Parts: sequence; C-alpha cells; structure tokens
Amino acid sequence: MVEALRLTLDRQSRKRVCAGTGKDEHWLAILPVTLIFGPLLPGMYWALAPALDVAVWQSLWADSQWPQALCATLLSSILGTVLACGLASSLATLHYPSARWLALRRRLPLLLSVPHAAFAVGFFFLVAPSGWLARLVAQFAHWTSPPDWITVQDPYGLSLALALAIKESWFLLWVLSAVLGEQNVVRQMVVARSLGYSRVQTWRLILWPQLMPRMGWPIAAVFAYGLSVVDMAIILGPGAPPTLAVLIWHWLSDPDPTFQARGSAASIILLCILLVCAAAAHWLWRLGQARLSYPSGARRPARALRWMNLHTPLFLTGYAIVSVLLVWSVADTWFFPALWPDTVSLDSWKQTDWSPFWTTLWLGVAASFLCLPAALIWLEWGPQRFNVVLYLPLIVPAMPLVAAQYAALLHLQLDGTPAALVWSHLPWVLPYMILTLVGAYRAFDQRLMTSSRALGCSRWRACLSVKWPILFRPIIATMAVGFAVSVAQYLPTLFAGGGRFVTVTTEAVALSAGGNRRVLAVQALLQIALPVASFALAAFLPYWVSRNRKGLR
Amino acid sequence: MLKIKNLELSQGDKTLLTGLNLDVKSGQIVTIAGVSGSGKSTLLNWMIGDLDPAFQATGEFWLNDIRRDTMTIEARRIGILFQDDLLFPHLSVGKNLAFALPDRFKGAQERRRCVEQTLTEIGLDGFHDRDPATLSGGQRARVSLMRTLLAEPEALLLDEPFSKLDAALRIQFRSFVFEQIERQCIPTLLVTHDPADVPNHGRVIEISELASRSCLTEH
Repeated sequence: MVEALRLTLDRQSRKRVCAGTGKDEHWLAILPVTLIFGPLLPGMYWALAPALDVAVWQSLWADSQWPQALCATLLSSILGTVLACGLASSLATLHYPSARWLALRRRLPLLLSVPHAAFAVGFFFLVAPSGWLARLVAQFAHWTSPPDWITVQDPYGLSLALALAIKESWFLLWVLSAVLGEQNVVRQMVVARSLGYSRVQTWRLILWPQLMPRMGWPIAAVFAYGLSVVDMAIILGPGAPPTLAVLIWHWLSDPDPTFQARGSAASIILLCILLVCAAAAHWLWRLGQARLSYPSGARRPARALRWMNLHTPLFLTGYAIVSVLLVWSVADTWFFPALWPDTVSLDSWKQTDWSPFWTTLWLGVAASFLCLPAALIWLEWGPQRFNVVLYLPLIVPAMPLVAAQYAALLHLQLDGTPAALVWSHLPWVLPYMILTLVGAYRAFDQRLMTSSRALGCSRWRACLSVKWPILFRPIIATMAVGFAVSVAQYLPTLFAGGGRFVTVTTEAVALSAGGNRRVLAVQALLQIALPVASFALAAFLPYWVSRNRKGLR
Repeated sequence: MLKIKNLELSQGDKTLLTGLNLDVKSGQIVTIAGVSGSGKSTLLNWMIGDLDPAFQATGEFWLNDIRRDTMTIEARRIGILFQDDLLFPHLSVGKNLAFALPDRFKGAQERRRCVEQTLTEIGLDGFHDRDPATLSGGQRARVSLMRTLLAEPEALLLDEPFSKLDAALRIQFRSFVFEQIERQCIPTLLVTHDPADVPNHGRVIEISELASRSCLTEH
C-alpha cells in the first residue's frame, strides 16, 4: 500500500497514459463512476440552493451560537493540522534515516486502522478528569475525587485539536514514509551529508523544500477532515455551542426549512474556510521559499537532539487508547483513584447488542464489493487524468457532500433504504480504493498483458485470467481499505439511513452521551475489531491462495 | 593518503569481503572491479558512512592520518558521485554548486562570483540560474562532479559514475573526471564493472564472487 501511495504521489506517474483505450470501454468505465458521483451534482444544487437568499445569511449572522462555534472549529482544525504536521515532520527530521524510523514505520498500519470515533472514545477515557491519566496523577497527588478541571469537551475545542493532531500525525507519517522510500530521496540525503551538512540541516535545506509541495494534498485532506468532523467533535468537542460541523448537522437535520437553509449556508462557509486557508498556506510557503537567501555554505554541526523522544508518547497514546477500552469493557466496579477495576466481569460483552456490528459488517462488505469492479474497470479503461476529480471527496469537507447526498435521496424518495445507505458510503469508499490500488496497477508489467493478448485473449479475458489474479494481493488490500473506510463513516450513515440503521460507529457516538462507559467501550472495540480483522484477512488470504506460487508472494 | 585496514564485510552469515587492506595515495585513482553483487558498492557505502544495517563491517578506514569510519557522514569529508547526478531539483544549477561551496567564501555576491567562475571553467557559462532539469545528461554529470569537488573533500568515491551516459559522452566525461581529480590531487576510489573505465596505468583491484582474500587480485 505504501508503494501504491508513493506512485500516486509521484507527479511523473500521471504522465503515463494507459495505451490502447477503446472508446466503448471508456463509457463502460465511466458508467459506474457516474452512478456513484452523478447524483451528487443535482444534490449539491438542491442542498445549497436555499442558501442563495440574503435573509438566510442574515439569520446565520444573527445566530447566537454561530460565532463561538466558528471559533472552536477554526481553532480545533487549524491547531490540529498544524500540530499533526509538526509532530510528523519533527519525527521524520529526527529519525530518518535510521533503524528507529523503520521500526516506527512498521508500527503505523496497526495504529492507522483504529477508526476516528473509537480513537476519540479511548482518548476521552484517557484524558477525562476521571480518566486514566488523572488516576495516574492521583496515585502521587493523593486525590480522592476527580479534579475539577475541564480536560475534554472544552469550549475552544482544544482537546479535540489534540486528538486530531495525534490521530492525523500517524496518517501524515505514513504518507511521508511512502515518499521517503524513494531511492532518489535516500541518496540525496547521503549526498548532502557528504557535502558536510548535518541531518537536520539537510532536512531543512534539501528535503522539506522538495517534499512539502507533494505533502500539500494529504495536509489539505487532514484539514478538511478536521473542519467537518462530527463524530469526534461530539465525543471530545465543546457542547453548547458545539463546533460548526456539529451545528450544521443539527441545522440540516432540523424539520424547519429556515434552519436547513442556515445549515446550507454554513456548509458553504466551511468550504470557503478550506479554500482560504489552503490558499493562505500555499502563499506563505511560496513566500518563505522566495525569501530563502543564497546558499551560505554554513555547516552547522548536529545539535544533540537524538535524546528527543517524541515517538514514545505518540505511540504510547495509541496503545493506551486500545488498552483503556479493553479494561473498561471488562470492568465491573471501578472507583476513581484506582488504576485498575476493583472487580472484572464479562457481563458487558455478554449483554452486547450485536445488531450494529452485523449492520456495519454487511454494509462494509457490500460497499467494498460494489466498488471493487468499479475501481478495476476505471483503472483499466477509465480516463486516468480525471483521477483528481475522483479524489475530491477526500479533500473537500464532508458536510456539503453529505447534504447533497441527502437531498438527492429525498428527491429520489430513497432515503432510509438499504440501497441508499450503501450508496451513501461509496463516494468515500471508491476514491480510497482507487488511491490504494493505482500504484500497484500502474506498476504491473504490461508485457504480461501483451503476451496473453498475443496468445489470442481479448482484453477482458486477459484482465480476468491474467492481470487481476496476479494483482490479487493489492486487490485484497484495497478491499480491506474500502471496508475500513465504510466502517468509519458516520454522517452518511445518519443522513442516508434516515436513523433506521445503526452501525458500531453511530452507536459508539450515541452512547458517548450516556453514562455507561462499559457498553461504550465494547462498541468502540467492535469498531476497531472490524477493520483490524479485515486487514488481517487481507494479509493472510493472498498467502493462502498463492501458497504454491512463490512468485506471487 | 587513504588507508583501509583489515576490512571484513558480511551480510548475516555470508561474507562479502575479508582481509581487505588498501592504500591509495593522493592523486591516485584505484579501480575496484567486480560483477554486480560482489560487494563493491557496499564497500563504498561503508566508506561514506551509509552502510545498510543489514551488513556488518569490521576494520578501519583512515584518511590523512585521521580515522574516519567511526565518524558521521558529514564529518568524514569524503565526496561521492553516483551514477545518477542527484542534483537537487528545487535549486538552480548555480545554487546546487553554492550549496557545496565552503563557508569561508563570505557574502552572496562573492559566493555567486565563485560559482559562476566554476561554471565558466567547465564550459557552462551563463548556466547559473538554469533549472537542472533543462540540462543535458552530460552537462548535469559535469555539474554534479563539480558540486562534489567544490566542497573540498579529502577523498573521492566514484560509484559507476559513467554507466548511465551514452558511449560518446562517456569518453568525454571520463577524461573530464580524471583531469579534475588530477587538479585536486586527492585519493580516489572508482567502482565499475566496465574495464574501459579504468584510467591508463591505473591500479585495478578485482573482487570476485567468491570474495575471499585469495580472490582479491591486482593487475
């Protein structure tokens, strides 16, 4: 997957064009994509048209919750993104290249597979005034009751920002590790250091100026996510008023059309914030680059930064989050200053409501199985230069898109049906699947296709009997990614499902408002278990299928 | 004077090189020849300080009476030239060279003058502000060598630097490299699998696949 991403990020690979694309197959490739994305266009109009009224904007302006919601959203998303970039870049600067970097890279996939909602629940259990951290401090400070501090759901969204920063720093590290695997980047490091520059200086003068432009899209995706995140914001963000995304969600789901119009207007604002901030960041970067002085040749010896140990707290947070969920799920009585439950029992597991689990499972399986042919046909016959358009849902705030989806479903009178629910996940599942598969697909040795067609196979047959079977491992990995993306969806499930379908994600978020931490921990763990199981299956299956074929492993 | 004392290179149980002792005088070019996989590039990686963790090395590496194999890459003062030019794509041709120029040349103007003079010397007058990507392969190779030499290394390592150039360019660039090394008067190790790369009357050390002491033959 890292390889796939590397190729995607490689600007040069865009220049490669698939040879021999027939016109008919072109349409075949575009059809499924149109079915998935097409309804969004009129939907966008239906959803956003109510905002074309000055009165709506005036009412938004006059809304009492709006200024502070905007403030919390800006603070949490900007701070979260900046911190995530800072964490990821300092880790890379400090540790790349070294054995520690490789070790860090190996641990990433497991952390990445923890969904955002489950992460937020675990983070809540860690840092809440009665959480594990406070209990740890209590051992030394001799507290007998939880401190009277606001550590989560603070009015400015700072705890949300911190959680976003940690979660997204793993994603950015993963993207970086893909780029840093390139031979030329590794060698440039050696060349610059052999010219007398320290590792830190090389990063600053040589690597970052080259890597940053390529990190632009992933960073934009992180920022867009922070702007429009609802599940994490409900669990960790401020309550009254909530963040802008949560407020928009309340407005859009209000039966009163004036509130719906206000929600549309506010989601346009989210989009504008993204554009303005992206433009500002781009401009600042260009300005900084233009003002770089002529190379002065000053070689600064490496300062003793190696002691700086950022990765331990970062990874420890991840492990602690899963552990605290596990402990809560088996806790029976657990009073405040105690680090461990006084008594444990499996009651919460025995009384678990498994219906969200099964709904999530069939939904994820359906979404990834529907997207797989669409992705394969698109990569084989589709016009590859439009890949960027398909990636749009990943870098645009989810809010206007979900509203558009819902509007389209209302007009088709399909809202609340299983088909609508599955479709609502596809605009996010498909881009992630194409992004994961595109690298391996382009790296495929085209001569194998040429040979099989020379043997008399049609292109279809050659794909079915040669290309796709050989690509079994990346295809299965792609399915696992698609499944994981579907599991993590929150907003589309709520809107398109019309409240009739409950997944582990929506259930975990709904339970977070209640007081039963045991039941909440169980649902959060189920949400983690599903993607982890799918990735494990994706690792094992190709090994088993190709057990007699060494060349495929 | 470059000295390698009793080097043993291995990868797990597999020994690539053993008992390698080598002296290279200033201005001398010693060629290390051998088939691919014989460990000749690994030898250069060890000397520059970038040995892959999969390999183990014992032995000492001395340059001008200072032991270097225990130093970091940036402290070793050794130049390296790979088969790819590896010019930094975000810097202009001139800034690539200025990056290597020691900081005793002070001030942007003075440094730019130095770089422009170097460019003139290698026949690239007026190339200061060009994007490296717009240069021909031969031009990039020349800039890359000059970047290595401008940092005033005390030894030079060449890792198949001619293998990616076409035949005519190859002969040209080869004599350019040897000429520049002669001017700098530093010990040089050249790794290659092409006998034509060996300079006239140069020493050649052959590393065979069997990679034991008896197989290190000199002509």
